[in-house]
Amino acid sequence: MSFVGNITRRTALRGLGTAIALPLLDSMPRPLATATAADSIAVAGPLRMAFVYVPNGVHMQDWTPKTEGENFELPSTLEPLAPFKNDLCVLSGLTQRKAFANGDGGGDHARALASFLTGRQARKTAGADIRIGVSVDQVAATEIGRYTRFPSLELGCDAGQQSGNCDSGYSCAYSSNISWKSESTPMAKEVNPRVVFERLFTNGRPGESSEARAKRQRYNQSILDFVRDDAQALRGKLGVTDQRKFDEYLNAVRELEVRIARADAAAESESVAGFTRPAGIPGDYAAHIRLMEDLMVLAFQGDVTRVSTMVIANEGSNRSYPFIEVPEGHHDLSHHGNDEKKHEKIKKINRFHITQYSHLLERLKGIKEGEGTLLDNCMIVYGSGIGDGNRHNHDDLPIVLAGRGAGTIKPGRHITYPNNTPLNNLFLSMLDRMHVKCESLGDSSARLAKLDG
Amino acid sequence: MRCPRHLGFAVRIVTAGAAVIGRSVCAVEPALQPVPANAPAPAFAKDVQPLLVKYCSECHHGEKAKGGLAFDTFKDESTAVSRRQDWEKIARQLDSEMMPPVGKPEPSDDERALVLRWIESRVLKIDCSKVDPGRVTIRRLNKTEYNNTIRDLLGIDVKPADDFPSDDVGYGFDHIGDVLSMPPVLFERYLAAAERIADAALLTPDPDRAPVKSGKGKTLGSVGEAEMEMEFPKTGDYVLRVKCYADQAGSELAKMMLKLDDTEIETLDVAAVEGQPELYTVKLNVPIGKHKFAARFLNDYYKPDDPDPKNRDRNLHVQRLEIQGPLGVLPDALPTSHTRLITCRPADGTDPADCARAILRPFVTRAFRRPATADEVERLARLVVAATKAGDSFERGIQVAVEAVLVSPHFLFRIEVDPEPLNPQAVHAINDYELATRLSYFLWSSLPDDELMRLAQEGALRKEGNLAAQVRRMLKDSKSAALVENFAMQWLQLRNLKLINPDLKQFPNYNDALRSAMETETRMFFEAIVREDRGLFDLLDANFTFLNERLAKHYGISGVQGDQFQRVTLSTPERGGLLGHASVLTVTSNPTRTSPVKRGKWILENLLNAPPPPPPPNIPELKDGEGKLEGTLRQRMEQHRENPACAVCHTQMDALGFGLENYDPVGVWRVKDGKTDIDASGTLPGGASFKAPVELKAILKARDGDFRRCIAEKLLVYSLGRGLEYYDKCTVDTIVRNTAANHDKFSALVLEIVQSDAFQKRRGKRGDEP
Repeated sequence: MSFVGNITRRTALRGLGTAIALPLLDSMPRPLATATAADSIAVAGPLRMAFVYVPNGVHMQDWTPKTEGENFELPSTLEPLAPFKNDLCVLSGLTQRKAFANGDGGGDHARALASFLTGRQARKTAGADIRIGVSVDQVAATEIGRYTRFPSLELGCDAGQQSGNCDSGYSCAYSSNISWKSESTPMAKEVNPRVVFERLFTNGRPGESSEARAKRQRYNQSILDFVRDDAQALRGKLGVTDQRKFDEYLNAVRELEVRIARADAAAESESVAGFTRPAGIPGDYAAHIRLMEDLMVLAFQGDVTRVSTMVIANEGSNRSYPFIEVPEGHHDLSHHGNDEKKHEKIKKINRFHITQYSHLLERLKGIKEGEGTLLDNCMIVYGSGIGDGNRHNHDDLPIVLAGRGAGTIKPGRHITYPNNTPLNNLFLSMLDRMHVKCESLGDSSARLAKLDG
Repeated sequence: MRCPRHLGFAVRIVTAGAAVIGRSVCAVEPALQPVPANAPAPAFAKDVQPLLVKYCSECHHGEKAKGGLAFDTFKDESTAVSRRQDWEKIARQLDSEMMPPVGKPEPSDDERALVLRWIESRVLKIDCSKVDPGRVTIRRLNKTEYNNTIRDLLGIDVKPADDFPSDDVGYGFDHIGDVLSMPPVLFERYLAAAERIADAALLTPDPDRAPVKSGKGKTLGSVGEAEMEMEFPKTGDYVLRVKCYADQAGSELAKMMLKLDDTEIETLDVAAVEGQPELYTVKLNVPIGKHKFAARFLNDYYKPDDPDPKNRDRNLHVQRLEIQGPLGVLPDALPTSHTRLITCRPADGTDPADCARAILRPFVTRAFRRPATADEVERLARLVVAATKAGDSFERGIQVAVEAVLVSPHFLFRIEVDPEPLNPQAVHAINDYELATRLSYFLWSSLPDDELMRLAQEGALRKEGNLAAQVRRMLKDSKSAALVENFAMQWLQLRNLKLINPDLKQFPNYNDALRSAMETETRMFFEAIVREDRGLFDLLDANFTFLNERLAKHYGISGVQGDQFQRVTLSTPERGGLLGHASVLTVTSNPTRTSPVKRGKWILENLLNAPPPPPPPNIPELKDGEGKLEGTLRQRMEQHRENPACAVCHTQMDALGFGLENYDPVGVWRVKDGKTDIDASGTLPGGASFKAPVELKAILKARDGDFRRCIAEKLLVYSLGRGLEYYDKCTVDTIVRNTAANHDKFSALVLEIVQSDAFQKRRGKRGDEP
């Protein structure tokens, strides 16, 4: 079967219902421009979206600005964002109703992360039947992922917990995954910056000639043809649950085929715009977070992807922060019992996280794109699925939205919504701006008002 | 006040991550009067339905029923009984008194008990004469299994899975078929790993695949050299490369001379500049032996007073040196991984397909853990032929076929095909290959070895005595270290020890070396139980442990020297058994203090098989001032327990935890906490009281049935890769009974599991299963 796969593959790709122009593999230029709605944005730079998550809620008294609208004062926790005050909105009153127990009992941490971007109630299970819903980033990735080499990028700083029960009878899949490709398939996050870098920016082995690489890609395509045939033949013989696992497999094969087809033959890039290849996970937590953020920025800048999530720490994390004089565990502290000393420490942790977010904004703002900056063409949500860690509430969540959404958002404001406004309304409005058609998402009830002024 | 009342109820199997069957949780006292044995069983229409209408229908009725649960659809007993999953949830809600919600009419205790009794007798009743083996969802290899499988399949220990995203955990373990998913990023990693593995295991003579060695670069600010030395394995053609760029200054480009030993190969102009380094390449025939390859910067230029700051200094930045070769030949010394696989080589000009088949048939059989089909071998052989037709070597072709095998679903998943996937009555024994595979992944986290495969091929695995002999052989094999690493370290939650960061100001001695020593102690201790086939109760209490100097000092035990661990006979009881291990004591502590709650919970979950339920909903919030807890930790906990909703579980949890107060947050023995004397006494519900950890240990040992059942269930979950269901009760009962009869030997427990129906059989899916 000398590489006849090419023809069938192109046919197959067209069959995916995508509008990918797929001329001969190796001569394809980047980025993949297509004649669709996204083109109009592509002129000034495409719009990107990202979601940055922090666990255990925040100390809301030092988070929520006292006044609404413009000219609000940044409370102490948000002070590190001062340089970007006119690039962001603080959103109050948004609620993730599906994170509440709603009859399911304990497990607020697991639910907080699992429902954060899905707006769906996690089915309570330690494993047998994991079900939640597709998350907003994956809704976007499915639609616009075809314009970039990677449909989306999932980042984090904590690997999933490796044993034990994560939260009151919920599988750890819920408390360590924010991004869900289907109702039962979480998108595993990358925590090692070296691996992220290699995945995004290296395309081959050291010293490999472009001919050798092209040949290797062709072999890979034959291999994928081989295993797809295997999987399809086997799928029919399996039970329903097993078939679901196989569908994940087949889908992954398809995505990789598309990626291989798009990889250009450019030489391996060991450095991207002077960026040094990361050696591994930095021992310093702040450095780790920043490095992951830098990689996100790099991926946005090069239009390698337009959708990303980043979990700064898994929900319910009991990480200690001795480097800011907080030797206690974050989760232990969050059950503060209104102890002033504990409040102070929680505030320190909140501020530490916000400082790292501010680094992300700084990097995005430092990159020129068209007339403005990369940040202008972004929507970067920061927040937690828990309000106050002591109460485990999921209403009036701490949410910041940074970026101008390519001119569709008027930043520099504190916007207050009636409490219990679905957080998913914000996501629906973000999808609109990404030109992703979506009429409802999870528990959304409407588009979110007031974003454009 | 709504105090959760936990009946001895089977439904906890679905609530708690840990599987618990048919026993009570936080059984402070029996809340209800026992029902006389001859009481008539409640009936749905007469007894249950009216209560549902009375207390539930306001919300759970019609199309807009809360939670999608509408009791009006439960028309009669048989439709009601068929909704098993709903009933499990309902029972949980009733049992914990979470439903009906606060503010709605509440059923009496008797009414609650009645409904629960009906659920137990009609919906969840189990007939142990017909054992239900359940069904295991196909299992993707997890990271550990992938690494081990590659090691045993190809004979190279490259641990490719270390860079894979982490596997999600369910039921306490990271290899549960239902939980393991296949996101695109993972599949991508599989393909990349397959390439790396094929590359590491097999050598090929293709010039572009010749081995590459690289050397470090150097910035040359003045005339000088970057160099690397290498043993050239044979005389032949090599490609030498330099990746570099230059700061340009003056009138000429930077000049670089490439040298082998002291002989010039070529002198080049380097036009590349910062940010765009280039690769400069020469091809050269090099004689066998050690040689030095160097890049020499020839024309330094330095004019610090030049008006143009960019024209002052010429430097050469060598980023990397590389030697690739020998080209076009196979090295003389081939690794075992290569010679073991490549058992033939087609003569020049002949069809390579025959030889490819001969190589691939046994390889695929081992990789897929069952005989390769003719079609599989044929299609793979075609990949090899295609590669040779494309101008590549036969070995390269085999590499491509090996890569295809390694990303095939037959390799990545452990597949067991049911003849009737949708018929729950169709119980069938898994075949011998499937059984060999279950066995080897259970005990070795890897593929079956030749002996298991031979027995499977002969259909002899289940024949008289073979299974028992294999279990004993496998437990003695060094590969059973996987059982310690994956079962024990997850069961005891010690994989989380890495995430615990004791406050270094309080515990300046804590560091990675100490943490690792703690892990090693428990690992070696468990391994001794397995290898020496000791009794399970040695885990709770033993007169030996394993220490190195570092850990012995931590424990205040003298006479142990050096980094090596040694078996130590304990003269006092403080460190005997898991509860004296610093690993366990640290993983259950907060960074700045001990947590009796966490320690108590750990004992309940992992030793006594009685995980406490999550805290009840609607705990009244502590108001400012009023809610401040004061005093010692023990006093604060006591104030906390004044709330009866908390007390119901915390009475037991805290007592157990306080029994370990003599161990500080990193497991050091103490008699004072600050200025306060340690009080490690307590009384458990039921009246058993203790004054010190040793006495607590004795009480736990006396609850032998709980502990035995606990480890049996954990190990059964681990062996099957699925959570336990209500119908597994019969299986667990048998395992527990027979293990006890066999003096609680570790091998007896394993063998009972291996011989159970759940391990040996499967069935089709039931309609109400996910």
